[in-house]
Amino acid sequence: MGQERFADVVERFTNGFGAAAPAASPEVVTQWQEELDKNFRRLKNLHQMVANPTEPKVGQTPREEIYKKNKSRLYRYASSRRHRTPILFVPNLGISRPYIFDLLPNGSFIEHMTREGFDFYLLDWGVFGPEDNDLSVETCVTKLLPRMAQKVLETSGTDELSVLGYCMGAPISACFVATHPDVPVKNFINMAGPIDFSKVGLFGLWLSKEYFSVDRFVDTFGSVPADMVKAGFKLIKPTMDLSTNVNLWWNLWNDKYVEGFQALNKWANEYVAFPGEFFRQWVRDFYQENRLYRGELVMGGRPVRLGNITCPVFVVGAKEDYIAPPECVRALIDAVGSREKEYIELPGGHISLIAGRGAALHCWPKVSGWLAPHS
Amino acid sequence: MADTTANQLFDLWKKQFEEGSQAWTRLMTQTPAAAPADPFAFWRPVLDQGLQTWAKLFSQAPASPELLTQWKQFLDQWIEAWSKVLGQTMGTEHFAKLMGQSLDQLLTAQAPIKKAGDQAIEQTLQALNLPSRTQLAAVAKQIVELEDRIERLEDMLGTLLRRLDKEPR
Repeated sequence: MGQERFADVVERFTNGFGAAAPAASPEVVTQWQEELDKNFRRLKNLHQMVANPTEPKVGQTPREEIYKKNKSRLYRYASSRRHRTPILFVPNLGISRPYIFDLLPNGSFIEHMTREGFDFYLLDWGVFGPEDNDLSVETCVTKLLPRMAQKVLETSGTDELSVLGYCMGAPISACFVATHPDVPVKNFINMAGPIDFSKVGLFGLWLSKEYFSVDRFVDTFGSVPADMVKAGFKLIKPTMDLSTNVNLWWNLWNDKYVEGFQALNKWANEYVAFPGEFFRQWVRDFYQENRLYRGELVMGGRPVRLGNITCPVFVVGAKEDYIAPPECVRALIDAVGSREKEYIELPGGHISLIAGRGAALHCWPKVSGWLAPHS
Repeated sequence: MADTTANQLFDLWKKQFEEGSQAWTRLMTQTPAAAPADPFAFWRPVLDQGLQTWAKLFSQAPASPELLTQWKQFLDQWIEAWSKVLGQTMGTEHFAKLMGQSLDQLLTAQAPIKKAGDQAIEQTLQALNLPSRTQLAAVAKQIVELEDRIERLEDMLGTLLRRLDKEPR
């Protein structure tokens, strides 16, 4: 824009606003007073965040460590255990920490499930180092998950369990359920877990074999460093940080909002590295070859056939999920051999499906509501 | 009145922004030999008209905090529009190819540097009689394998004990 044109516009603006403007009504004055008060509280909270930052208290639901294997931990949460069948919750390996599912009191999926009387077990895969670079998807499916399921059955004293997979945890646990018919899985739930990777969106395009050499990447770096994982997820939604900060400033006067923001922000900036071999197999077999959905995957010498899953299946997709789009998640319904299966699509994105106010309204009651009569 | 003019502003801005975003997408995907388009050709009239409308708005009614809410909505829509434009651009084969090529170049440059750096650090630590990361990782792996073996022994013992319990005395 030319300097002269901008000056003309400024002159018109300032000439139009002045003596000719009418006096403000009492309502407008009150509104401005409220706005000034909000701004004062914004500055106060901003000062508090910058000058005296406090570490947010996350993961406060009481739990007990049941079992550990290398970096992985199995936790059992305190609950009335009204429902007999325990739940083994399998989240994503790497990428981020699992306390997102237990973020804050009255804002926690795990707290909700334990309040509903479920015997809830969380598998925390752990934070990986260079010594874990040989950990593969196959090891998780054939060694770790069977062991975790066994520990759940032993400690709960039951002879069946439900498996709930979220995000990457869903296809991995689907492989486990499909290849271990000896493990008594009563129900299988998939929350935002990609199954048909031909419909997985941007990550599918960026990681396709035409453009991404996973072997070369893993052979060079050994693992996928946490910073690279962070860069990948930031790139998929580059305006997220700007939008987050604009909304933070807008709501900074609200102490509850600030508390929630600090907890979520802590999680959103704490990324976990991928073990090298895990990443290699995950990208090659799932993203590039789509072997799980096409029935070409083999784990521990056993073919992985989703049709071998015959227990009741519940699948939850998120309408605005750009990491695991709904059509990619829904594909499990057509692939399993279960007679009883149900798919629902809820508002929200990949994270807001399971964490946040929207999740508490839409998702959590649906999941606990479906599981209760099946447990 | 304020709502009508604000809505008009948004509608006008949306229309101009869509045209501008299409120009950006064409710019990103066009070949280098093509003459670069002037992206600001679409933005100048938007900003000018927007400022004129705001000036008219202020002269007709007193400013209220609702304007701040409208400004926030404007920002949200602006960010959302940018998000869509960037998403469309990044969803193209061209972008994926560019990203793959950048990564390939990084790996080509990184691999020998990393290898040389790792070797230098190993030699330095050896000279100082200190363990390297590779050695520590190897020790950690051995500990994990030992844990595995102990677990298998525990499983075997457990199975034997259960069999003994079941056998008639």
